[in-house]
Amino acid sequence: MTIRLGRRQFLLGSSALAAAAAAGISPAFAQSALRLLFWGGQDRADRTYAVSDMFSESSGVEMAPEFLSWSDYWPKLATQTAGGNAPDIVQMDYRYIVEYATRNAIAPLDEFVGGALKLDNFDPDQLEGGKVGGELYGISLGANSVATLVNTDAFAEVGIDAPTNAWTYDDIMEMAEAFNSANIRGGMKVMSDGSYTEPMLHNWLRQRGKELYTPDGQLAFDEDDAIEWYTLWAKLREAGAIVSAEDQALDSGPLETTMIVLGKSALMPSNSNQLVAYQTLVQDDLNMIGYPRIAEGVGGGHYRKPSMFFSVGGSSANKEAAAEFLNFFISDPEAAKVLGVERGIPCLPSTREVVAPTLDEKGQIALNFVANLGDLLGALPPPPPPSAGEIDASLIRTLGQEVGFGAKSPEQAGRDLVSGAKDILSRS
Amino acid sequence: MSVQHSSRATTTVVDGPVSRGSLWSRFWQNDAPGYLFLLPWLIGFFGLTVGPMVTSFYLSFTDFDLLTSPDWVGTDNYVRMLTNDPKFWTSMRVTMFFVVFSVPLKLCFALAVAMLLNRGIRGLPLYRALFYLPSLLGASVAIAILWRQIFSGDGLVNQVLALVGIQGPSWISNPNYSLWTLIVLSIWQFGSPMIIFLAGLRQIPSDMYEAASLDGASKWRQFVKITLPLLTPVVFFNAIIQTIEAFKSFTPAFIISGGTGNPINSTLFYTLYLYQEAFGFFRMGYASALAWVLLALVGLFTAFSFLTSKYWVHYDE
Repeated sequence: MTIRLGRRQFLLGSSALAAAAAAGISPAFAQSALRLLFWGGQDRADRTYAVSDMFSESSGVEMAPEFLSWSDYWPKLATQTAGGNAPDIVQMDYRYIVEYATRNAIAPLDEFVGGALKLDNFDPDQLEGGKVGGELYGISLGANSVATLVNTDAFAEVGIDAPTNAWTYDDIMEMAEAFNSANIRGGMKVMSDGSYTEPMLHNWLRQRGKELYTPDGQLAFDEDDAIEWYTLWAKLREAGAIVSAEDQALDSGPLETTMIVLGKSALMPSNSNQLVAYQTLVQDDLNMIGYPRIAEGVGGGHYRKPSMFFSVGGSSANKEAAAEFLNFFISDPEAAKVLGVERGIPCLPSTREVVAPTLDEKGQIALNFVANLGDLLGALPPPPPPSAGEIDASLIRTLGQEVGFGAKSPEQAGRDLVSGAKDILSRS
Repeated sequence: MSVQHSSRATTTVVDGPVSRGSLWSRFWQNDAPGYLFLLPWLIGFFGLTVGPMVTSFYLSFTDFDLLTSPDWVGTDNYVRMLTNDPKFWTSMRVTMFFVVFSVPLKLCFALAVAMLLNRGIRGLPLYRALFYLPSLLGASVAIAILWRQIFSGDGLVNQVLALVGIQGPSWISNPNYSLWTLIVLSIWQFGSPMIIFLAGLRQIPSDMYEAASLDGASKWRQFVKITLPLLTPVVFFNAIIQTIEAFKSFTPAFIISGGTGNPINSTLFYTLYLYQEAFGFFRMGYASALAWVLLALVGLFTAFSFLTSKYWVHYDE
């Protein structure tokens, strides 16, 4: 539609037109500040906002941080990236970094290393975790590991010792007998149903010397593994050792809906950096141990995962300033005190030294757990292929439930997992 | 407005050869101010509705993934949907089940309440407002969360059942019942069809009922022979609106299942699957194709309703 202004008739409406035009172009003006987008809860946001204020004060660079929940974060980031309006700094996950890097949605940072980014002494495995195709795309904000949360008060109530890092899958059955005969708190079970927790399957496979995915993004386990996995959990379920499928299905993602917060189980798979968050939701005292071993003395299932990265937007006009912010975020002592171990264990030794004395009891537990994994620790797995998220959401979670509700046999689920995953991998 | 203007323009052409310039000047003088005042709506309509629709139609023939530029893949998305995507059929089945049960039940309930309220009780405006309230709250996040609490294992429903000695399941997380909790939630939002039914009932002349009762017709007979036939235009209207709403239903399933459609995909509404494909797995092209299939489906349903309406909808003419 062509509109020529200047005609007398149009003067009437010109103010409306101007308003509409202004509304249309206004976002273009809001670009000067360094935009930071991250996922997390209020606690993380408070800490992050405080640190970005500190950075603004010391550097004079204006910051515009914004946060969302995990599930809202990825649609927003993808939409903004598609619209050519990506933030300057984005929080990145191990699962998505390859996808974003290979599409140039985030920028390589190698040119800033040694300059704006000082990474001497940075934990080598955490540095490696941020690389894609040999180039550095993400700065790890902390290391964490999978971990099992332990409700120690519940174990005291039942009258048995809480498990330690030495515990095995067989122990679940034994502890369950004690729990079921004690029948505390309206039938609390010893363990939640971990059969559709992807990290738990991954950990179990790694203890068998396998992986979820090969470095070139193919499936790295077979039907026999998958069938054995579902059979293992089916036995626990039939024996009443773990929570019922119906209870487990109440877990829809948010921490508040999980089995340990609902008081339905005393053990639950989680991550080391989440102990602090869970403790605020549970009255009982929580502790943290590794995932169960497949047999006594077998380790190597765990790894120090970069809990999350900061990356620089591929289209950012302020990459240098963004790199300076990243450096401030990981190394400034005052910033370190504010951030604590909320995003995992800091990767610079100097930062760790500053943080360690300031931590509360739960923070200490997290720090010590990740530092002392011992023989549980194995090598860093290759980054998962882009469709790993889909395999998790539409196969691993659903199939576990189907076995749980008796809609599929463990054998059927095992076969479906492998064939379905291969199908999804071949499509992408 | 546009119809009048175009007819005037035609007249101008018939009058004789008109130069481009004078057509323009006529446009400026006569039509332009009208369009100017329409401009806010036009900008919204073309910028926010037509533009995205055309784009999404184009994208439905591509492999657009939000991050890289789209490549043309022809009808691949549609072919895959119909031949090689079990989740498409799962979600279609869930949505169909929801539509087929929630719409008639909701309409019956709304009509029943409207009939009760139409008996000239005191404080009608108050009751009307109270019953309408759920419709205002219905699609909200807060209600979906409340629903989770009511229908969970130790929720309100099971506490009431426990009083009569029944141990209820966890309705919300049991694949046999989870969809029904969403249907109940939908029925609970009967307010807006109820208001429309109430208005419809008020339109029926009371002398018809008087005549019928003089002839000895029972209440039931009066309902079947007078109320229902005269109410059919309203029933028709409500049915179409509610069917479209049911097809589009998204928020409750999204909140209650945490966006997963679980347990075992039993609440995987079509719209939820579409959302997962678009924003979970970044298959915007495929999701666009899903959206167009949904539009076509809703269009078909509506067209079918209109075609059959002449056999059962009675307009008082």
